[in-house]
Amino acid sequence: MEPKIVITTASAIHCLGRNLDEISASLALPPRTSYLKDFGFHSLSKDTPCFRIGDFEPEAILGKKGLRTKDHATKLLLSAIELGFKDLFESTPEPARPGLCIGTSFGSVQSIGDFLSDAIINGFHNVNPQAFANTVINAPTSNANIRYLSRALSSTVSTTFNAGLDALAYAAMFLRRGYASWLIAGGLEELSYYALIGLDKNGSLSASGVCAPFGATADGTVAGEGCAVFCLETEEHAKSRGAHIIAELAGIASCFDPKKGPQGFNLAGDGCRHAMRQACGDAGISLSDIAFVAASAGGVPDGDTMEAGALAGLFPKTPVAAYKAKTGECIGASSCISTACALADMKAQRVSGIGNAYPLSLPVNLVFETRTGVPAEFVLINSFSCDGYCGSIVLKNRS
Amino acid sequence: MKNDRAVVTGLGVVSPIGTGVEAFWNAACKGTNGIAPLTSFDTTGFRTSVGAEVKDFSAGSFLAPSQVSSMGRSSQFAVAASKMALADAGLDIAKHDPYRTGVSFGTTMGEPQVLEEGIERLYGATGSADALPEDLPRKYPCGVISANVASALGACGPVIMIPTACAAGNYAIGYAHDLIRRGMADVVIAGGSDPISKIAFTGFNRLLATAKECCRPFDKNRDGMAVGEGAGSLVLESLSHAKKRGAKIYAEVLGYGLGCDAFKMTIPDPSGSGGILALTTALAHANIGPDAVDYVSAHGTGTEENDRTETLIIKTVLGERAKSVPVSSLKSMIGHTMGAASAIEAAACCLTMSHGVILPTINYRTPDPECDLDYVPNAARSASINIAVSNAYAFGGNTSSLVLGRFKG
Repeated sequence: MEPKIVITTASAIHCLGRNLDEISASLALPPRTSYLKDFGFHSLSKDTPCFRIGDFEPEAILGKKGLRTKDHATKLLLSAIELGFKDLFESTPEPARPGLCIGTSFGSVQSIGDFLSDAIINGFHNVNPQAFANTVINAPTSNANIRYLSRALSSTVSTTFNAGLDALAYAAMFLRRGYASWLIAGGLEELSYYALIGLDKNGSLSASGVCAPFGATADGTVAGEGCAVFCLETEEHAKSRGAHIIAELAGIASCFDPKKGPQGFNLAGDGCRHAMRQACGDAGISLSDIAFVAASAGGVPDGDTMEAGALAGLFPKTPVAAYKAKTGECIGASSCISTACALADMKAQRVSGIGNAYPLSLPVNLVFETRTGVPAEFVLINSFSCDGYCGSIVLKNRS
Repeated sequence: MKNDRAVVTGLGVVSPIGTGVEAFWNAACKGTNGIAPLTSFDTTGFRTSVGAEVKDFSAGSFLAPSQVSSMGRSSQFAVAASKMALADAGLDIAKHDPYRTGVSFGTTMGEPQVLEEGIERLYGATGSADALPEDLPRKYPCGVISANVASALGACGPVIMIPTACAAGNYAIGYAHDLIRRGMADVVIAGGSDPISKIAFTGFNRLLATAKECCRPFDKNRDGMAVGEGAGSLVLESLSHAKKRGAKIYAEVLGYGLGCDAFKMTIPDPSGSGGILALTTALAHANIGPDAVDYVSAHGTGTEENDRTETLIIKTVLGERAKSVPVSSLKSMIGHTMGAASAIEAAACCLTMSHGVILPTINYRTPDPECDLDYVPNAARSASINIAVSNAYAFGGNTSSLVLGRFKG
């Protein structure tokens, strides 16, 4: 008999907040975009709307020691862990401390680009060797292992836009196989010059600066940054230490869709349908048990069309929340930030709406006005990537 | 939860000493040195000018022209190695449920050449972002490597990229083994891939970690590693699936162990804490004791710190057995192929068991009192191997050990 996997703590660094209560409050507010242009060695051609963490001061959270050589992505992860799990690490003897599994698409691509830029400008022989350590994609995770003396696991998952969700899947596998009793798992992404240029060149960035998931006139997404991490543990372990169980990670599915449309998505939606069905199957529930769906949609027309088609077939009447309207497209962190939003909504017995209504491209039961008094037992969270990665998880409310 | 056994039924290798299992194995048995002056870029002024490049690789032999131009070198290596592995396994994915076939790959740098080219263009004519290649976003993120393998093969099952630096191949194979053991896939293409890059070459040179002429692991006069490139791919299959189609079986993946030094980003914990944890865990998961280990394929980079620490790890975990277990480093021949290293080394372990030949550690001349094991110096050796352990360690203190066993029905 495999153990049940439960979520006992959630922590985040995001413009919506740093914990479920702050996120819950922010979901009731309009989107808070700001603008970015300069990135050290390079600048974007114009101020670009994005979801930045405006008040992020890592030194205030982490102290000054050891931060000089750490990049932005690492500081995001360390801060999320510090805020949510410092006490847990400090109260747990070193050998028993939880390992880490973090999903990120780019790691710190800004560090890699800066390392190269420094080498080109100042000479390859003069580049700072300490900066080299930041160029490996696992650097943020490993830096967290080092800071918190966590030896049980240091794993990084990088499946582009699905990285966060696949990190949860990896962690769940680790627990289900009995390799560990608890882990810290989540998703991370920094805003970088290269990610923004990449999204722009891919035709994915909204020129209007508005993220309107499933919108008939949606013109792209708005990039975001952040980190959301969770303590995943076996139910037995959580109960043995008296931990408060927020939710159960009841169903997990990931698959791949090799068929590609112009923007990368398979508009027929074979992979995303399979993932949603499989996640419910893994949870041992039927599709009708899902109280609401947290969509992957972020305003990129083909991606939204693919998911809308699949939802119309499988969940024609189920409410659909589109958190990316307020979180932005946080790439490898997105699905974990959506998971945090879903946990906040489950706790508040509601489904958060976008706020402003707009015409839809396809008939999706999208929630515009927040619905209260919705006691959700099961929630489905989607993450579908233009590269073919498809993933869904089912959360069971245990609060 | 099926708990089926995971067996290896196909191998594919792209390496600095040969592309294809036969070319690689023949060269490795002869102790071929794949380390030579680099031709990919100018090395003037660096501590060393040598590295381990793949010399005989033609992407066009494995991919259509449009695929070649749409992929970075790491993806090209990964797809080529995986196609060779599937051919070796005699497996046609199209004849099986595509949702039961997965891909699990690892890498250190991903597709660094794509970013290098982009940034060099940025500093070229205009300095404008317009100079960045249009296809950069689709070619650069390391997740595209696994996606490219899955797309090329038509795999629709679980697909993952685990970029845990130079231990990534072992992580990927371990996860593939879990997918099969848990009944989530019948077949998983698992491996690792990395291209040579200016970033890695510059970084390791600036850390004074590169060898000046050749890589001599465990030798008293070792002076570093040689940056390399390549890919290794293994077809992992559930035993029931392999038996049903009458597949040849190279080996069984018995278990693996992971750990972390939690010490420094670029050097191992001299006490070997993470490596000891990984090896101890791997043996426990494989349900074997230290006395069952017949061979250790070492991480063996040729750096002062790694080789001393790895020797300590092996001695600590294997105890008295360590003195009689042959330990060799493939990196003496193919350099450090980064995220590909442990995948290629796992493939080599499978071949070691099936051929009864242990590959040598070449360039070994002077014993080091701190590295006092049997490193199979300079010449391959015949031996019957039932249990092989492959170690892989990485930046960030990531540690891993994989246990492979000769298949016994």
